[in-house]
Amino acid sequence: MQPQPAYLLHKRPYRETSALVELITLDHGRVSAVAQGVQRAGSKSRARLQPFAPLHVTWIGTAELKRLRLMESSGSAALLAGEGLLCGLYANELLTRVLPPLLPVGEVFAFYTALFDALPNPERRASALRRLEVAVLEALDAEPIFLDADERELDPQGRYVYRAENRRFTLAPQGQGVDGRTLRLLAQGDWTQPGLAGVAKSLSRAALAPLLGTAPLRSRQLMQRLAARRRTELRPEK
Amino acid sequence: MSFSPLVDRLLEALRVLPGVGPKTAQRMALHLLERDRDGGRRLAGVLAQALEEVGYCRRCRTLTEEDMCALCTSPRRDDGVLCVVESPADMLAIEDAGGYRGHYFVLHGHLSPLDGIGPEDIGLDQLDVRLDEGGVEEVILATNPTVEGEATAHYIAEQLRERGMRLSRLAYGVPMGGELEYVDGGTLSRAFNGRLPFRGE
Repeated sequence: MQPQPAYLLHKRPYRETSALVELITLDHGRVSAVAQGVQRAGSKSRARLQPFAPLHVTWIGTAELKRLRLMESSGSAALLAGEGLLCGLYANELLTRVLPPLLPVGEVFAFYTALFDALPNPERRASALRRLEVAVLEALDAEPIFLDADERELDPQGRYVYRAENRRFTLAPQGQGVDGRTLRLLAQGDWTQPGLAGVAKSLSRAALAPLLGTAPLRSRQLMQRLAARRRTELRPEK
Repeated sequence: MSFSPLVDRLLEALRVLPGVGPKTAQRMALHLLERDRDGGRRLAGVLAQALEEVGYCRRCRTLTEEDMCALCTSPRRDDGVLCVVESPADMLAIEDAGGYRGHYFVLHGHLSPLDGIGPEDIGLDQLDVRLDEGGVEEVILATNPTVEGEATAHYIAEQLRERGMRLSRLAYGVPMGGELEYVDGGTLSRAFNGRLPFRGE
Protein backbone atom coordinates (compact mmCIF):
# COMPACT_ATOMS: atom_id res chain seq x y z
CA MET A 1 0.00 0.00 0.00
CA GLN A 2 0.95 3.61 -0.46
CA PRO A 3 2.08 5.37 2.71
CA GLN A 4 -0.92 7.02 4.32
CA PRO A 5 -0.83 10.44 5.99
CA ALA A 6 -1.77 9.80 9.61
CA TYR A 7 -1.76 11.17 13.14
CA LEU A 8 -1.39 9.22 16.33
CA LEU A 9 -4.46 9.54 18.54
CA HIS A 10 -3.44 7.27 21.35
CA LYS A 11 -0.67 4.91 22.30
CA ARG A 12 -0.74 2.28 25.00
CA PRO A 13 2.17 -0.02 25.91
CA TYR A 14 1.68 -3.60 24.76
CA ARG A 15 3.87 -6.53 25.78
CA GLU A 16 7.37 -5.39 26.56
CA THR A 17 8.52 -3.33 23.63
CA SER A 18 5.40 -2.83 21.52
CA ALA A 19 2.46 -0.50 21.65
CA LEU A 20 -1.18 -0.59 20.67
CA VAL A 21 -1.88 2.55 18.70
CA GLU A 22 -4.95 4.35 17.43
CA LEU A 23 -4.36 6.43 14.31
CA ILE A 24 -6.48 8.73 12.23
CA THR A 25 -5.59 8.34 8.56
CA LEU A 26 -6.54 10.24 5.43
CA ASP A 27 -8.27 7.50 3.44
CA HIS A 28 -9.04 4.80 5.98
CA GLY A 29 -10.33 6.70 8.98
CA ARG A 30 -9.45 5.35 12.39
CA VAL A 31 -6.99 2.47 12.35
CA SER A 32 -6.03 0.35 15.35
CA ALA A 33 -2.66 -1.31 15.06
CA VAL A 34 0.19 -2.95 16.89
CA ALA A 35 3.42 -1.02 16.55
CA GLN A 36 6.16 -3.47 17.25
CA GLY A 37 9.34 -2.48 18.99
CA VAL A 38 8.42 1.17 19.46
CA GLN A 39 8.68 1.03 23.25
CA ARG A 40 12.26 -0.18 23.08
CA ALA A 41 14.71 2.26 24.60
CA GLY A 42 16.45 4.13 21.82
CA SER A 43 13.91 3.17 19.19
CA LYS A 44 13.75 5.88 16.56
CA SER A 45 10.05 5.35 16.12
CA ARG A 46 9.50 5.93 19.82
CA ALA A 47 10.21 9.63 19.54
CA ARG A 48 8.49 9.85 16.17
CA LEU A 49 5.27 8.19 17.21
CA GLN A 50 3.86 10.99 19.32
CA PRO A 51 0.43 12.61 19.24
CA PHE A 52 0.01 15.72 17.05
CA ALA A 53 2.99 14.78 14.86
CA PRO A 54 2.30 14.25 11.15
CA LEU A 55 3.25 10.75 10.03
CA HIS A 56 3.24 8.56 6.98
CA VAL A 57 2.39 4.97 7.77
CA THR A 58 1.69 1.65 6.11
CA TRP A 59 0.22 -1.43 7.71
CA ILE A 60 -0.66 -5.01 6.94
CA GLY A 61 -3.33 -7.36 8.17
CA THR A 62 -6.90 -8.24 7.32
CA ALA A 63 -8.31 -8.23 10.85
CA GLU A 64 -9.46 -5.06 12.58
CA LEU A 65 -6.17 -4.84 14.47
CA LYS A 66 -3.45 -4.10 11.91
CA ARG A 67 0.28 -4.38 12.15
CA LEU A 68 2.07 -1.12 11.58
CA ARG A 69 4.91 -1.47 9.11
CA LEU A 70 6.40 1.82 8.14
CA MET A 71 6.35 5.00 10.15
CA GLU A 72 7.92 8.13 8.84
CA SER A 73 7.48 11.57 10.19
CA SER A 74 6.43 14.14 7.63
CA GLY A 75 7.06 17.36 9.46
CA SER A 76 7.50 18.43 13.01
CA ALA A 77 4.88 18.04 15.70
CA ALA A 78 2.58 20.90 16.53
CA LEU A 79 3.88 22.89 19.48
CA LEU A 80 0.88 22.67 21.76
CA ALA A 81 1.00 23.78 25.35
CA GLY A 82 -1.37 24.45 28.20
CA GLU A 83 -5.03 24.76 27.34
CA GLY A 84 -4.37 24.17 23.64
CA LEU A 85 -2.78 20.86 24.51
CA LEU A 86 -5.81 19.83 26.54
CA CYS A 87 -8.03 20.75 23.56
CA GLY A 88 -5.84 18.53 21.39
CA LEU A 89 -6.27 15.68 23.84
CA TYR A 90 -10.01 16.28 23.76
CA ALA A 91 -10.02 15.96 19.96
CA ASN A 92 -8.03 12.74 20.24
CA GLU A 93 -10.35 11.30 22.85
CA LEU A 94 -13.40 12.27 20.83
CA LEU A 95 -12.14 10.64 17.63
CA THR A 96 -11.01 7.48 19.43
CA ARG A 97 -14.36 7.17 21.11
CA VAL A 98 -16.83 7.87 18.30
CA LEU A 99 -15.22 6.88 15.01
CA PRO A 100 -15.83 3.27 14.01
CA PRO A 101 -12.67 1.57 12.73
CA LEU A 102 -11.78 1.89 9.05
CA LEU A 103 -14.64 4.20 8.12
CA PRO A 104 -13.14 6.67 5.63
CA VAL A 105 -13.52 10.18 7.04
CA GLY A 106 -11.51 12.49 4.81
CA GLU A 107 -13.27 15.65 6.02
CA VAL A 108 -12.59 14.80 9.64
CA PHE A 109 -8.93 14.26 8.85
CA ALA A 110 -8.75 17.63 7.11
CA PHE A 111 -10.32 19.49 10.04
CA TYR A 112 -8.20 17.53 12.51
CA THR A 113 -5.09 18.69 10.65
CA ALA A 114 -6.38 22.26 10.62
CA LEU A 115 -6.74 22.08 14.40
CA PHE A 116 -3.00 22.37 14.94
CA ASP A 117 -2.84 25.78 13.33
CA ALA A 118 -5.71 27.01 15.43
CA LEU A 119 -5.05 25.52 18.87
CA PRO A 120 -2.05 27.66 19.84
CA ASN A 121 -4.31 30.70 19.45
CA PRO A 122 -6.96 30.94 22.22
CA GLU A 123 -9.43 32.90 20.06
CA ARG A 124 -9.48 30.32 17.30
CA ARG A 125 -9.74 27.23 19.52
CA ALA A 126 -13.50 26.99 19.93
CA SER A 127 -14.32 27.45 16.26
CA ALA A 128 -11.70 24.91 15.15
CA LEU A 129 -13.06 22.35 17.60
CA ARG A 130 -16.65 23.01 16.45
CA ARG A 131 -15.65 22.48 12.81
CA LEU A 132 -14.08 19.16 13.75
CA GLU A 133 -17.14 18.13 15.76
CA VAL A 134 -19.49 19.01 12.91
CA ALA A 135 -17.31 17.04 10.48
CA VAL A 136 -17.48 14.05 12.85
CA LEU A 137 -21.27 14.36 13.15
CA GLU A 138 -21.69 14.60 9.39
CA ALA A 139 -19.39 11.64 8.78
CA LEU A 140 -21.45 9.55 11.18
CA ASP A 141 -24.74 10.88 9.81
CA ALA A 142 -25.69 12.35 13.17
CA GLU A 143 -25.66 16.11 12.53
CA PRO A 144 -28.67 18.10 13.73
CA ILE A 145 -31.42 18.69 11.20
CA PHE A 146 -32.82 22.17 11.60
CA LEU A 147 -36.50 21.24 11.38
CA ASP A 148 -39.10 20.49 13.98
CA ALA A 149 -40.55 17.03 14.58
CA ASP A 150 -43.17 17.59 11.84
CA GLU A 151 -40.52 18.54 9.28
CA ARG A 152 -41.46 22.23 9.38
CA GLU A 153 -38.96 25.07 9.25
CA LEU A 154 -38.03 26.55 12.62
CA ASP A 155 -39.92 29.68 13.59
CA PRO A 156 -37.46 32.55 14.18
CA GLN A 157 -39.66 33.77 17.07
CA GLY A 158 -39.95 30.35 18.75
CA ARG A 159 -37.65 28.80 21.30
CA TYR A 160 -36.45 25.24 20.77
CA VAL A 161 -34.60 22.39 22.42
CA TYR A 162 -32.67 19.74 20.51
CA ARG A 163 -33.80 16.12 20.63
CA ALA A 164 -30.87 13.87 19.75
CA GLU A 165 -33.07 10.80 19.28
CA ASN A 166 -34.72 12.14 16.10
CA ARG A 167 -32.07 14.81 15.42
CA ARG A 168 -34.75 17.49 15.29
CA PHE A 169 -35.97 20.36 17.44
CA THR A 170 -39.06 20.67 19.59
CA LEU A 171 -40.56 23.80 21.11
CA ALA A 172 -39.10 24.53 24.50
CA PRO A 173 -41.03 25.30 27.68
CA GLN A 174 -41.30 28.98 28.59
CA GLY A 175 -37.96 30.66 29.23
CA GLN A 176 -35.79 27.78 28.07
CA GLY A 177 -34.16 26.63 24.86
CA VAL A 178 -32.56 28.56 22.05
CA ASP A 179 -34.35 31.01 19.81
CA GLY A 180 -35.17 29.95 16.26
CA ARG A 181 -33.31 32.84 14.71
CA THR A 182 -29.97 31.67 16.15
CA LEU A 183 -30.68 28.11 15.06
CA ARG A 184 -31.45 29.25 11.55
CA LEU A 185 -28.08 31.01 11.46
CA LEU A 186 -26.43 27.77 12.53
CA ALA A 187 -28.41 25.93 9.87
CA GLN A 188 -26.73 28.07 7.24
CA GLY A 189 -23.59 26.22 8.17
CA ASP A 190 -21.65 28.89 9.95
CA TRP A 191 -20.96 27.33 13.32
CA THR A 192 -17.98 29.49 13.92
CA GLN A 193 -19.46 33.00 14.21
CA PRO A 194 -18.30 34.45 17.51
CA GLY A 195 -21.81 35.31 18.67
CA LEU A 196 -22.98 31.75 18.17
CA ALA A 197 -20.13 30.09 20.06
CA GLY A 198 -22.10 29.22 23.19
CA VAL A 199 -25.10 27.82 21.32
CA ALA A 200 -22.91 25.93 18.85
CA LYS A 201 -20.99 24.35 21.71
CA SER A 202 -24.04 23.13 23.60
CA LEU A 203 -25.74 21.95 20.41
CA SER A 204 -22.75 19.94 19.20
CA ARG A 205 -22.38 18.50 22.67
CA ALA A 206 -26.03 17.42 22.67
CA ALA A 207 -25.63 15.90 19.20
CA LEU A 208 -22.47 14.02 20.19
CA ALA A 209 -23.91 12.71 23.46
CA PRO A 210 -25.69 9.65 22.01
CA LEU A 211 -22.52 8.68 20.12
CA LEU A 212 -20.43 8.85 23.27
CA GLY A 213 -22.73 6.79 25.46
CA THR A 214 -22.70 7.16 29.21
CA ALA A 215 -18.98 7.27 29.96
CA PRO A 216 -17.82 10.89 30.30
CA LEU A 217 -15.06 12.39 28.17
CA ARG A 218 -12.14 12.54 30.59
CA SER A 219 -10.32 15.35 28.83
CA ARG A 220 -13.45 17.51 28.96
CA GLN A 221 -13.78 16.78 32.70
CA LEU A 222 -10.19 17.82 33.14
CA MET A 223 -10.77 21.16 31.42
CA GLN A 224 -13.96 21.73 33.38
CA ARG A 225 -12.14 21.13 36.65
CA LEU A 226 -9.49 23.66 35.72
CA ALA A 227 -12.15 26.16 34.70
CA ALA A 228 -14.03 25.61 37.98
CA ARG A 229 -10.81 26.13 39.92
CA ARG A 230 -10.17 29.38 38.09
CA ARG A 231 -13.67 30.62 38.85
CA THR A 232 -13.28 30.03 42.58
CA GLU A 233 -9.98 31.92 42.43
CA LEU A 234 -11.51 34.88 40.67
CA ARG A 235 -14.43 35.14 43.06
CA PRO A 236 -13.68 38.12 45.31
CA GLU A 237 -13.39 37.24 48.98
CA LYS A 238 -16.03 38.72 51.19
CA MET B 1 8.88 -32.11 27.30
CA SER B 2 7.71 -30.37 30.43
CA PHE B 3 8.94 -30.34 34.00
CA SER B 4 7.01 -31.37 37.08
CA PRO B 5 4.03 -29.12 37.95
CA LEU B 6 5.87 -27.14 40.63
CA VAL B 7 8.86 -26.41 38.38
CA ASP B 8 6.47 -25.40 35.64
CA ARG B 9 4.75 -23.04 38.01
CA LEU B 10 8.10 -21.51 38.90
CA LEU B 11 8.87 -20.96 35.21
CA GLU B 12 5.50 -19.36 34.71
CA ALA B 13 5.96 -17.15 37.78
CA LEU B 14 9.38 -15.93 36.70
CA ARG B 15 7.91 -14.65 33.47
CA VAL B 16 6.16 -11.79 35.26
CA LEU B 17 9.54 -10.03 35.23
CA PRO B 18 10.21 -7.65 32.34
CA GLY B 19 12.55 -9.06 29.71
CA VAL B 20 12.00 -12.65 30.80
CA GLY B 21 10.62 -15.03 28.19
CA PRO B 22 10.27 -18.82 28.35
CA LYS B 23 13.96 -19.51 27.71
CA THR B 24 15.27 -17.04 30.26
CA ALA B 25 12.74 -18.24 32.82
CA GLN B 26 13.99 -21.77 32.34
CA ARG B 27 17.60 -20.70 32.77
CA MET B 28 16.79 -18.77 35.94
CA ALA B 29 14.76 -21.60 37.45
CA LEU B 30 17.37 -24.24 36.70
CA HIS B 31 20.11 -22.00 38.06
CA LEU B 32 18.28 -21.46 41.33
CA LEU B 33 17.30 -25.11 41.75
CA GLU B 34 20.53 -26.69 40.68
CA ARG B 35 23.28 -24.31 41.62
CA ASP B 36 22.17 -21.68 44.07
CA ARG B 37 19.38 -22.76 46.39
CA ASP B 38 20.64 -20.42 49.13
CA GLY B 39 20.51 -17.48 46.79
CA GLY B 40 17.01 -18.55 45.80
CA ARG B 41 15.87 -18.69 49.42
CA ARG B 42 17.31 -15.25 50.06
CA LEU B 43 15.53 -13.92 46.96
CA ALA B 44 12.24 -15.47 48.01
CA GLY B 45 12.54 -14.07 51.52
CA VAL B 46 13.46 -10.54 50.50
CA LEU B 47 10.86 -10.51 47.74
CA ALA B 48 8.09 -11.55 50.11
CA GLN B 49 9.18 -9.01 52.72
CA ALA B 50 9.55 -6.18 50.22
CA LEU B 51 6.16 -6.81 48.65
CA GLU B 52 4.63 -6.85 52.10
CA GLU B 53 6.33 -3.82 53.60
CA VAL B 54 7.31 -1.36 50.88
CA GLY B 55 4.78 1.38 50.38
CA TYR B 56 4.78 5.07 49.52
CA CYS B 57 6.46 7.75 51.58
CA ARG B 58 3.83 9.81 53.40
CA ARG B 59 5.41 13.03 52.22
CA CYS B 60 6.86 12.50 48.75
CA ARG B 61 5.19 9.23 47.64
CA THR B 62 8.42 7.53 46.66
CA LEU B 63 8.88 3.83 47.44
CA THR B 64 9.97 3.14 50.99
CA GLU B 65 9.26 0.73 53.83
CA GLU B 66 9.43 3.59 56.32
CA ASP B 67 6.68 6.04 57.07
CA MET B 68 8.87 8.79 55.60
CA CYS B 69 11.79 8.19 53.25
CA ALA B 70 15.40 9.07 54.06
CA LEU B 71 15.36 12.00 51.67
CA CYS B 72 12.34 13.61 53.28
CA THR B 73 13.81 13.34 56.77
CA SER B 74 17.33 14.42 55.78
CA PRO B 75 18.32 17.77 57.36
CA ARG B 76 20.80 18.43 54.56
CA ARG B 77 18.22 18.92 51.84
CA ASP B 78 16.90 22.31 50.77
CA ASP B 79 13.31 22.63 51.99
CA GLY B 80 12.58 25.49 49.62
CA VAL B 81 12.56 23.48 46.38
CA LEU B 82 10.22 20.67 45.39
CA CYS B 83 10.71 18.67 42.22
CA VAL B 84 7.65 16.87 40.80
CA VAL B 85 8.55 13.70 38.86
CA GLU B 86 6.52 10.97 37.19
CA SER B 87 8.22 7.93 38.66
CA PRO B 88 10.74 6.83 41.31
CA ALA B 89 13.06 5.97 38.40
CA ASP B 90 13.00 9.63 37.31
CA MET B 91 13.80 10.67 40.86
CA LEU B 92 16.79 8.31 40.91
CA ALA B 93 17.98 9.64 37.56
CA ILE B 94 17.95 13.21 38.88
CA GLU B 95 19.68 12.14 42.11
CA ASP B 96 22.37 10.32 40.12
CA ALA B 97 22.88 13.32 37.89
CA GLY B 98 23.73 15.25 41.06
CA GLY B 99 23.45 18.94 41.73
CA TYR B 100 19.88 18.96 43.01
CA ARG B 101 19.57 19.40 46.77
CA GLY B 102 15.83 19.84 47.20
CA HIS B 103 12.94 17.50 47.82
CA TYR B 104 10.80 15.43 45.48
CA PHE B 105 7.19 14.54 44.89
CA VAL B 106 6.49 11.36 42.93
CA LEU B 107 3.28 11.12 40.90
CA HIS B 108 3.55 7.47 39.84
CA GLY B 109 2.16 8.23 36.39
CA HIS B 110 0.86 11.13 34.39
CA LEU B 111 -2.51 12.55 33.44
CA SER B 112 -3.87 10.59 30.54
CA PRO B 113 -7.53 11.30 29.78
CA LEU B 114 -7.65 8.62 27.09
CA ASP B 115 -6.60 5.98 29.61
CA GLY B 116 -8.97 7.38 32.22
CA ILE B 117 -6.16 8.58 34.50
CA GLY B 118 -7.22 11.75 36.28
CA PRO B 119 -5.68 14.11 38.87
CA GLU B 120 -6.68 12.00 41.88
CA ASP B 121 -4.99 8.91 40.39
CA ILE B 122 -1.60 10.61 40.46
CA GLY B 123 -1.89 12.01 43.96
CA LEU B 124 -2.40 15.67 43.11
CA ASP B 125 -4.64 16.12 46.16
CA GLN B 126 -1.69 14.89 48.20
CA LEU B 127 0.54 17.47 46.50
CA ASP B 128 -1.78 20.15 47.88
CA VAL B 129 -1.40 18.67 51.36
CA ARG B 130 2.38 18.59 50.93
CA LEU B 131 2.49 22.26 49.93
CA ASP B 132 0.20 23.22 52.81
CA GLU B 133 3.05 22.19 55.10
CA GLY B 134 4.71 25.37 53.90
CA GLY B 135 8.34 26.20 53.28
CA VAL B 136 8.34 25.45 49.55
CA GLU B 137 9.29 28.46 47.44
CA GLU B 138 9.84 26.85 44.07
CA VAL B 139 8.19 23.88 42.40
CA ILE B 140 10.10 22.26 39.52
CA LEU B 141 7.81 20.47 37.09
CA ALA B 142 10.03 17.61 35.91
CA THR B 143 7.41 15.50 34.16
CA ASN B 144 8.45 13.90 30.87
CA PRO B 145 8.51 16.01 27.70
CA THR B 146 5.68 13.94 26.21
CA VAL B 147 2.14 15.06 25.48
CA GLU B 148 0.89 13.50 28.72
CA GLY B 149 3.80 14.92 30.70
CA GLU B 150 3.10 18.41 29.32
CA ALA B 151 -0.59 18.08 30.14
CA THR B 152 0.32 17.03 33.67
CA ALA B 153 2.70 19.97 34.08
CA HIS B 154 0.01 22.35 32.82
CA TYR B 155 -2.58 20.95 35.21
CA ILE B 156 -0.25 21.18 38.19
CA ALA B 157 0.74 24.73 37.23
CA GLU B 158 -2.93 25.74 37.15
CA GLN B 159 -3.53 24.00 40.45
CA LEU B 160 -0.66 25.85 42.11
CA ARG B 161 -1.24 29.25 40.56
CA GLU B 162 -3.20 30.66 43.47
CA ARG B 163 -0.31 29.84 45.80
CA GLY B 164 1.88 32.28 43.88
CA MET B 165 5.05 30.25 44.28
CA ARG B 166 7.78 30.10 41.67
CA LEU B 167 7.15 27.42 39.05
CA SER B 168 9.75 26.14 36.66
CA ARG B 169 9.88 23.48 33.97
CA LEU B 170 12.87 21.46 32.81
CA ALA B 171 14.39 22.98 29.67
CA TYR B 172 14.27 21.30 26.28
CA GLY B 173 17.64 20.96 24.72
CA VAL B 174 20.08 19.26 22.47
CA PRO B 175 21.67 16.23 24.19
CA MET B 176 25.30 16.56 25.33
CA GLY B 177 27.66 15.36 22.65
CA GLY B 178 24.82 15.40 20.13
CA GLU B 179 25.02 16.70 16.62
CA LEU B 180 22.42 19.15 15.43
CA GLU B 181 22.08 17.34 12.13
CA TYR B 182 20.68 14.27 13.87
CA VAL B 183 18.47 15.93 16.47
CA ASP B 184 14.77 15.59 15.71
CA GLY B 185 12.95 18.70 14.51
CA GLY B 186 10.70 19.08 17.56
CA THR B 187 13.57 19.08 20.04
CA LEU B 188 15.63 21.39 17.88
CA SER B 189 12.89 23.99 17.42
CA ARG B 190 12.14 23.97 21.16
CA ALA B 191 15.83 24.23 21.97
CA PHE B 192 15.96 27.18 19.60
CA ASN B 193 12.99 28.91 21.20
CA GLY B 194 14.47 28.36 24.64
CA ARG B 195 17.99 29.54 23.81
CA LEU B 196 19.98 31.19 26.58
CA PRO B 197 22.23 34.25 26.63
CA PHE B 198 25.81 33.24 25.91
CA ARG B 199 28.08 33.29 28.91
CA GLY B 200 31.75 33.12 28.16
CA GLU B 201 32.98 32.51 31.69
